[in-house]
Amino acid sequence: MEHPTEIGLETMGDITLFDIRGDVTALSEPFINDAYKKALDRGVSKILLKFKKDAYINSGGIALLIQILAESKKNNQRTAITGLSDHFKKIFNMVGITKFARIYDTVEAALEAMSGPS
Amino acid sequence: MSANEHMVRRLNNRTVEVSLPSRMGYERIAMDCSASFAKMVGFAPERIEDLKTAVAEACINAIEHGNKGHPDTRVLVTMNFNDDRFSVSVKDGGKGIARLPKDSAVIQTIEKLEPPKGLGTYLIKQLVDEVEFNDMTKDGHAVKMVIKLTSKPLSFRKK
Repeated sequence: MEHPTEIGLETMGDITLFDIRGDVTALSEPFINDAYKKALDRGVSKILLKFKKDAYINSGGIALLIQILAESKKNNQRTAITGLSDHFKKIFNMVGITKFARIYDTVEAALEAMSGPS
Repeated sequence: MSANEHMVRRLNNRTVEVSLPSRMGYERIAMDCSASFAKMVGFAPERIEDLKTAVAEACINAIEHGNKGHPDTRVLVTMNFNDDRFSVSVKDGGKGIARLPKDSAVIQTIEKLEPPKGLGTYLIKQLVDEVEFNDMTKDGHAVKMVIKLTSKPLSFRKK
């Protein structure tokens, strides 16, 4: 029933893109934590979380993202989000995630905005 | 699957019932079923997305907290459309929600970037027009919610 989470890491200059596919739920924890640990080991300072437009994200998945935002704040990393449907843009705004990570409509817009100094 | 383990059945012209095993991931069946039903009766895509999230969160709570993931238990989701109102009841065998976190407490926790408790119920309250938690029955507990066909999506409303 679950579409397992898959996360591809891609480096674009000083930005690491997390290409997140599949469901984002509480069951995604090991995949998200593993990807974040790899990014941390690479010493990245900027993270772009890219979601699929048709992603299923529930409260368990949102809690995990909050955990990643807490880690990235602790590690002085700048984080942004892209690829969300209008519904999840609304939800992320509703719960306050947008106070910690700005949402961009496209990868290109996010990369351009993040390309300056941290 | 045996005959008494039906997943989806039509009770009448306006009512559909979905019976889910208490296993994470199965909330998607109720979610997709409610979306199809709401589309059929004329809901706008934005409100269908709100409904899907609210139904999924109510089912997740029922699976995780109500039935505690016990494999022998089911979550019963009943959907009805009548007079502009799309009603959903999500029933489990639990004792209800002992303490419903305040909306402000959920948001303050997130502002501190700490793991939020009660995020699912917070989302339900934000996304539907009416919700009633802790409707106790003789064999469990139900969450009842309503989305109205003529109500505006949250982006146009002041809550």
